[in-house]
Amino acid sequence: MGLLKYTIYRLLQAIPVLIGISIITFLLANLAPGDPVRLMLQGQQADEELVRTIEQRYGLDQPLHVRYWNYMTGLVQGDLGYSIHRDRPVSELMLERAGPTLLLVLSAYVFAIVTAIPLGIIAAKRRNEPTDHISRIVALIGVSTPSFWIGIMLIIIFAVQLGVLPSAGLVYPWQPPEAAGHDGYLEHWIESIRHLILPMIALGTLQMATLMRVERTQMIESLQEEYVKLARAYGVPERTILRKHAFRSAQLPIITIIGLNLSTALGGAVLIETVFAINGMGRLFIEAIQQLDYQLIMGVTMVLGAIFVIGVVITDISYAYIDPRVTYGERE
Amino acid sequence: MATTESQLEEQQPSVGPGEDEADEEVETRVGWRYTLAKIKRDATARIGLYIVAVVLFIATFAAIDSNVARLTFGAVQDYPAARALPIFDHPTAIPPPGEANANAPPAFVDGGTLSHPLGTDPQGRDYFTRIVYGSQVSVSVGIVATAIGLIGGTIVGAISGYYGGKVDDVLMRLVETLYAIPPLVLIIVFIVFLSGGSPDIRYAIVGVGITFIPVFARIIRSRVLSVREMDYIEAARAAGVKDRNIIRRHVIPNSFSPVLVYATLQIGVTILTVAGLSFLGYGAQPPTPDWGEMLRIAHGRYMHSNIWLSIWPGLAILVTIMGFNLFGDGLQDALDPRIKN
Repeated sequence: MGLLKYTIYRLLQAIPVLIGISIITFLLANLAPGDPVRLMLQGQQADEELVRTIEQRYGLDQPLHVRYWNYMTGLVQGDLGYSIHRDRPVSELMLERAGPTLLLVLSAYVFAIVTAIPLGIIAAKRRNEPTDHISRIVALIGVSTPSFWIGIMLIIIFAVQLGVLPSAGLVYPWQPPEAAGHDGYLEHWIESIRHLILPMIALGTLQMATLMRVERTQMIESLQEEYVKLARAYGVPERTILRKHAFRSAQLPIITIIGLNLSTALGGAVLIETVFAINGMGRLFIEAIQQLDYQLIMGVTMVLGAIFVIGVVITDISYAYIDPRVTYGERE
Repeated sequence: MATTESQLEEQQPSVGPGEDEADEEVETRVGWRYTLAKIKRDATARIGLYIVAVVLFIATFAAIDSNVARLTFGAVQDYPAARALPIFDHPTAIPPPGEANANAPPAFVDGGTLSHPLGTDPQGRDYFTRIVYGSQVSVSVGIVATAIGLIGGTIVGAISGYYGGKVDDVLMRLVETLYAIPPLVLIIVFIVFLSGGSPDIRYAIVGVGITFIPVFARIIRSRVLSVREMDYIEAARAAGVKDRNIIRRHVIPNSFSPVLVYATLQIGVTILTVAGLSFLGYGAQPPTPDWGEMLRIAHGRYMHSNIWLSIWPGLAILVTIMGFNLFGDGLQDALDPRIKN
C-alpha cells in the first residue's frame, strides 16, 4: 500500500469512530431523565401549550431514530444543530470559539515539545547523574500536579504578586490591532504573547512531563542499539551519534504520544480556560452545561471528539511518513 | 463516605478470583513476595509507599472521626456539638458569628494563631481540618472510581479478547469511541445528563469509572490474547468447561497483574480528574470538604487577599498523587525486569 492509499484508508477508518461519537453524545442527551424543554425552563412553571410548541418547532416530538437521522443528515452537511438557548446555529458559535482553544492547545504543545525533548535527551545522556535525577523529579511533579492549580499558582506569582503578566483573557493575533486597542502590530503581537504565556505553561506542563519521560526512555534504548555501538566503535563523535543516529528513531513514539494526549489536552483546556477566563470551546462547553443547552453540548462534544480523531489520523500518517520501516495498513 | 468504603471492601476479594486453586496461589504469593522485596530496595518506590500509607491512614482516620461525629451528635452542621470532638472541628461546621475568624492566615505568618495551623477559610472554618477531611473524599473517590473502571474494563477486555472476531470488533470500536471524547468532557456530560442537572459526587464516581473502562479494557484484552492460546485453556475447553467459567477462573486471573500495576498509576489520574471536576463544580458539592472544591472557592475572589487558600489544597493533591505515582512506578519496575534505570 502506498502512502496516499494509506492516508485514505486511515481517513475511512476514522468514520466509524466519528459515527460512534455522534451516537454516544446523541443518546446521552436524549435518553437522559427529564425532557430537554422542561429542564431548559429550569423549574419555571411550564405552560403545557408552550412546551408542546417548542418541542414541535425543534422536532423534539418525533421518535428517537427519526431525530437521530435528522441530526446525522445535518452533521454531514456541517450543521451541528441550533442552540435554542442562544438562538444561534451551533456551528457559528463553534467557529467563534474554536480559535482561542486551538491557539492555547497548539502553544501548549510547542512549549511541551521545545522543553521536553532537550531535557529528555540530556537526562538520557547523563543517566543516573544529578541532572537526570532532577529532570525525573520535574517530570514526576509535572504528572502529579493538577493543571488548574499550576494556573492558579502562576496567576498568584506572576500576575498578583509580581504584576508582570496579565491574569485573564487572550489577545488574538489574527484580529486587527485596532480591535484590541493597540497602536501597531508589534504591540499587538507582544500583548498576545504576554497573555498566552501563563495559560500555555499551565496546560503544557503535563504534556511536557509525559513527553520528557518517554523521550528519556526512548533515548536510553536507542543509545544501546547495535548501530550506535558500531558508530561509536568507528569513532564517530558523541554529538553526531546523538543527533544523527540515536535521535531520529527515538522521536517516533513521541509522535504517537502527542496524538493520543490530544484528548487530555483538550479536556485540560476546559479547566485552563476557566482559570484564565478565556472564551474558548472549553468555556463554551461549561456555559452550555450550566444552561443545559442540549444542542450546544452535543455540538461541542462532537467537535472535540472529531478534533481528537483527526489529530490521531494526522500523527499516524506522519509516523508512516517519517519511519521507513512502518509497513502501513496490513492488519495481523 | 462510609458507603464507598464498604463498597471498596466488598470489591477487594475480586482481586484474586483464582485463589481457590492451590497451585496458582503458591505461584502468585512467591511473585508478590519477590515484588515487595524489590520495592523495599527501591528508594523512590519506598517513598511512594510511605506517602500512600500515610494518606490512606489519614483518610481512614478522618472517616472514623466523621462517623463518630455523625453517630454521636446527629446533625453535623451543629457546631457546638461537633466541636466537642476531641481531635478535630467538624470540617463543615461554621463557627457562630461571634467567634468567626474568616480568612485567617496560617500560624507561621503574621496574624496567624496556632489554633488554626493552616488558617481559616472565608467562612471561618479551620483549613487544616478541611484539608485532612479532604483526603477522605479524594482517596475514596479515587480508589472506588478506579475499581469501577478496573472491573468494567476487565469484563469488557476479557470478553473481547477471548471471543475475538465480531464481538471483539464491536467492543473495540466502542472503546475507541469512548476514548476519543476528552475524558473530562465525557464525564461532565455523563454527570449532568444522568443527574438531571443537579450534580453529586456519586455521579462523578460512576462517570469517572465508566470513562476509564476503555483504558483497562485495552490492557486486559492484549494480555488475554496471549493467555487464550495457552494449553491449559485448551485443556479446560476440551474438558467441557463453559466459556463463562474459563474466562472467570482462568483467563482473568492470569491476565491481571499488569492491570493491577496500571490501576495503581490510574488512581493518581482519577484523583486528578475528580479534583478537576470539583473545581468546575461537578464533583463534590459544598459543604463537603474536597480539595478540588476548595480550590474552586479559592480561585478568583481570594487569589489576591488570601493566597493560602489556593496553596494548601493544591499541595495536598500534588503529594497524594505523587505518592501513588512513585509507588506505581516502583511496582512496574519490580514486575518488569526489562526496564532498568
